Amino acid sequence: MLKTEELQINIGPQHPSTHGVFRLIATVDGETVVDLKPVFGYLHRNHEQLAEVSTYIQCMPYTDRLDYFNSMANNFALAVAVEKLAGIEVPERANYIRVLMAELTRIQNHAAAIGFLINDMGAWQTPLAFGMREREKILDLFEMASGARMMCNYFRFGGVWRDLPPEFMPELKQLMQGLPSFFDEFERLLRDNEILRVRSIGVGTLPREVALLYSVTGPLLRASGIAYDIRKAEPYSVYDQLDFDVPIGSVGDVYDRFLVRIEEMRQSYRIVQQVIERLPQTSGEHINPAFADIGKQKALRPPTGDAYGRVESPKGELGFYLVSDGSPRPYRYKVRAPSFINLTPLGDMCRGHKVADIVVILGSIDIVLGEVDR
Amino acid sequence: MTTEFERGHAYVVDRGEIQLRYGQGMAAGLGVIMRHFRDAFTKKLTNPSETSGMFTVQYPEERLTLPDAFRNFPILLYDDESGQELCTSCFQCERICPPQVIHITQEKDPNTGKPVPAAAEFLIEYDACMSCGLCAEVCPFEAIKMDHEFELSTDEHGGLTIDKAGLDRPVSYYEQIAPSFWAEARDNAYKKLQNAVKRRSGLIGIAPQVAEKLKATQVIEQPSVADEGQTTKDEGSTPADDKASRLAAIRARNAAKQAETNGTTDAAPQPTAPADDKAARLAAIRARNAARKTDANGVAEGAPQPTAPADDKAARLAAIRAANTAKKAAEEPRIERQEPAQAPQPADDKAARLAAIRAANAAKKVAQIEGDAHDHSPNGTNGTK
Amino acid sequence: MPRLSPTDLRERLNHDMPGAVLQQQFVTDGTAHDGDRATPPARKGAEQPVALLATNDVVVAAVRLPDVARYMRDQLGYQLLSNITAVDYLAEGVIELVYHFVNVEGGPPLVVKTRVPRDRAMVPSMTPWWPGADLQEREAFDLFGVRFDGHPNLRRVYMWDEFEGHPMRKDFPKQGDKYMTEGE
Repeated sequence: MLKTEELQINIGPQHPSTHGVFRLIATVDGETVVDLKPVFGYLHRNHEQLAEVSTYIQCMPYTDRLDYFNSMANNFALAVAVEKLAGIEVPERANYIRVLMAELTRIQNHAAAIGFLINDMGAWQTPLAFGMREREKILDLFEMASGARMMCNYFRFGGVWRDLPPEFMPELKQLMQGLPSFFDEFERLLRDNEILRVRSIGVGTLPREVALLYSVTGPLLRASGIAYDIRKAEPYSVYDQLDFDVPIGSVGDVYDRFLVRIEEMRQSYRIVQQVIERLPQTSGEHINPAFADIGKQKALRPPTGDAYGRVESPKGELGFYLVSDGSPRPYRYKVRAPSFINLTPLGDMCRGHKVADIVVILGSIDIVLGEVDR
Repeated sequence: MTTEFERGHAYVVDRGEIQLRYGQGMAAGLGVIMRHFRDAFTKKLTNPSETSGMFTVQYPEERLTLPDAFRNFPILLYDDESGQELCTSCFQCERICPPQVIHITQEKDPNTGKPVPAAAEFLIEYDACMSCGLCAEVCPFEAIKMDHEFELSTDEHGGLTIDKAGLDRPVSYYEQIAPSFWAEARDNAYKKLQNAVKRRSGLIGIAPQVAEKLKATQVIEQPSVADEGQTTKDEGSTPADDKASRLAAIRARNAAKQAETNGTTDAAPQPTAPADDKAARLAAIRARNAARKTDANGVAEGAPQPTAPADDKAARLAAIRAANTAKKAAEEPRIERQEPAQAPQPADDKAARLAAIRAANAAKKVAQIEGDAHDHSPNGTNGTK
Repeated sequence: MPRLSPTDLRERLNHDMPGAVLQQQFVTDGTAHDGDRATPPARKGAEQPVALLATNDVVVAAVRLPDVARYMRDQLGYQLLSNITAVDYLAEGVIELVYHFVNVEGGPPLVVKTRVPRDRAMVPSMTPWWPGADLQEREAFDLFGVRFDGHPNLRRVYMWDEFEGHPMRKDFPKQGDKYMTEGE
């Protein structure tokens, strides 16, 4: 029997594969990972405390910086939470615009996430550029509507900042024409490629029961075979009026996560199609008239109480737990960040795999450090 | 486990057994990549429905058009003709700003001391601004708007605290970058501006750029000549008086040239100047003076304008701004320097008089209280809570 | 789709686990929806003391928390411990921990709260039963100083190990302002 010695290696905090400033301490036995400890906090800016000294509307631009890939989804979650806390009605049209933005966000996030996953497997940059190209088109739409590509700050309590500009819809319809072929092509890149299959099948498996106990949500949980999607489980906004399916995986490995993300993009595409059809017939304004003036948003004093608003962000369950003491600033503002909680099983998922697989497994979780560290 | 939902169901993704073997799958993937590789050289992606082709642009030469809603950093608007600023210093933007980077001082009537609806100073720390656009949204006077200029890199950090002269843009500029937004705001803006103008007098509330011109048409350029003499004298002693001034001078000279070629008089920094050359020289000197004086003051005002002139218009604007900042700084430092001194002065006097009457103890206390009250100097970037 | 309201949960717990649910001040106003506190008239600022601790949610004794949680997981099907939040009620001298349990079959999350004194904030850890609580408990420890009894690796997660104090506590001095440090 050959005697081996365990070795600790440090990955990060500045490492191209860690998707940000994130450090991993891996204990390896030869090439095999024995233990893995993530180290956080390099990007910590105490977002929650920042919010406690800000008014509710001032928190909105800060949420953009949580998961900076999906600022629209973050805005959505805060808006849902505050509306629940203060009992604000959202007009139908505003809801459809919100859903449209949220689903476009999901498409662009998954396109980039899969691109980065393939990137992490060693297909350096080229497939990533395909994902980024589609993402770019969607970001252009965001810019058109909200004024910024990534830090959208588009949602307001009771609606959205402004209605879609007239040039938005034609552009969106054109984009929609090209998307299905993009999905197919993107799928082909990984699905049949032997190298990528070998790197992803059976790697980082998270069985169903384990996934539940690890509190993971989003595509990670669905890839493990649990059809838990907040859009279905506790429909918010107008998701109860839209037809879409929930793709789930059967094994829970990296390959399943990839397939689930591809399918989710297709489902989001379906939702966007329905929204495009219905948007012209929707009633109401882009914002609740009582809150159309930003002065009202600024002076918002939700009644004493707490509320937990959550949405299905592309990364998982994004929730805001707010406690109000009747003042214009939240007494407590907690972000349930999916990226952060999805990292909990990282050590377990990597155990027994090779060092090179750490990167792939981390890529398949799809984290954004802005949200992990907050 | 539910697999049926109200609208839709859960389905298991098809992991599919591998259909292509012996490297064919990889070849198929490479085929996709090859197609894109070819298209990247032969085809330009022109509309969003296409999924291949070259979709990048050669940036500095080739630019994408920005949508009206685009927002980068806030600017202040003033009326083109009268030069009246739309801002009435209502402090709405200062209050809503999440990172607290806006600092406003309200203008006071020089005779009565009453506040006037105009901003005496308006500072925005561009370095900490996060471009959320809430200030532009909240402004009831349509005075603060989001600029489309995004090339603001500079090697000088202090230059990113922009004062009113640096923030002021004519309405026509905003109308040009965001026509649909201005069309919505226009009527409201002018209606409210008229109300504000009624309560202003003299040069109060006039954009520094225009105020300079107005002054120049009325007064002969006496002080600037003095400045010139002083500068030439000082030139040798402080030759390295920094890049900022040289940049400003170059910009001003360029602007003068531009004005010559374009034939537009309003681009020339000095309407009264007989020759463009002279105007440029004056501007350059003033810029240098300003840089020096602001250096001494510790206020980074004459610092290089963080705009990289991209096209003719931008270049001209930059030049005008540089020249104006220079001019303003050349004349204002005296006032500015006095301001902090002036404020505590009466307090001290008062305290002294009180001391004469009352016990020394009481006087000290009063002075302390007064001193505290004046702690927030008008230009000071006072701390947030 | 199972939809258990806090009232149902309280009844069940009183029946199956007597003594676990604490007596508490309920929100009298019946208009508030389940799980949320009621709506007292709007006030100017927060000058008057507010009954922040009044709640319709289930508040359990800290020592019984793991039992209750396992009961919810095994008997009621709330398998996913979605969210752990610590809230510092400085005036009341209490740190409240809010646990959101989710049933993956659907329905809104179910809330269980527990309260511990600020100076002796000690709660039994969920991590042995729910490994997913690991990072969230470490976060609550780091930012609020709640000690989780039985946590295998209770270390700071955001702040560095040598850091003193717990920055999200309401009495933590708000230092580090860029303007404040300039003069010092």
